[in-house]
Amino acid sequence: MSASVLVPSVVSPIVVSLFIPAVFTGLIVGLIGLMAIAYQKNDLSALILTDIVGVGMLILVAAVGTDLAEALILPGLVVELAEILAISEILLSREMRKTGKTAELIPLPVSLDMEIMTTAPAFMAIILIAYGAFLSGFTGGAVAGGGILFYVLSQRVRGVPTDMWEGLAGVSGIAWCLWLVGFLLFFVFPQYWLLALFLAAFGVFIKVAFKAGLIGVMGREEFNKKE
Amino acid sequence: MLDVYIWFYTGVLLTILGGLATAIGPGVKDPIVRTLNTEIAAVGVSLIFLTYNHTIALVTYIAATAIITMILLRAIVRLEEVGAEL
Repeated sequence: MSASVLVPSVVSPIVVSLFIPAVFTGLIVGLIGLMAIAYQKNDLSALILTDIVGVGMLILVAAVGTDLAEALILPGLVVELAEILAISEILLSREMRKTGKTAELIPLPVSLDMEIMTTAPAFMAIILIAYGAFLSGFTGGAVAGGGILFYVLSQRVRGVPTDMWEGLAGVSGIAWCLWLVGFLLFFVFPQYWLLALFLAAFGVFIKVAFKAGLIGVMGREEFNKKE
Repeated sequence: MLDVYIWFYTGVLLTILGGLATAIGPGVKDPIVRTLNTEIAAVGVSLIFLTYNHTIALVTYIAATAIITMILLRAIVRLEEVGAEL
């Protein structure tokens, strides 16, 4: 079966021998998830089961076993995260419209009124963002995004500055264009590879960091609703 | 030496078991139990990534799973506060 597939000689024999089992595992897990979704009457259960379908997709991609797999898994993870976030918001807003009640934006069992939330958020956010900028790329974006998220969560007590999210979304779009330009430069002018590398690295950094802006936009919608 | 296949097939087993447990496992009428069952599959996928040496993917996946669990638990708690049928 694997003889009909062209396998480059750089791929290690272990990866080649694990390819068929991994593909079948991914298919079986995906099938289990999809069957369960089909028999589900409850929307929330279907949402949780999409997580399992996502797991099957990740195994299918991982079966390639080279750097290509790693490069494809990372955007897959981000897309899965954004998808679950968006669908859960749609479910919530539908139920709220049905029952006419509202719930807290971020329900917490304890009150977030700790001292660190009022004195340190700017400092912590700056350190996380600076360290993220130093790392650059996808990982740095995640670290800096954590800093932005921490800032938003701590400002929630005093009220999130709602105007700045429009700007964040705009910067995110421009960073995406930087990434595209950097990627294109690799192919058109290969002699400027360093410039292209840095454009791509910092474009992705800003883009991933401002994924947290999604949560801010959600918060703005929520506050508009209350007033 | 540690055999690569042990880790891979343990991961495969955990992923399929976790998928089944999330779909038809005991107590899945409770959405919190269902969410916690997805963690079994998550550990299985982590083992498979480990077999393939996908370091960055593994680290990012662990972070993403934690965030996804938080999002799902938040959705469950908010739906219960609103009083929807779960």
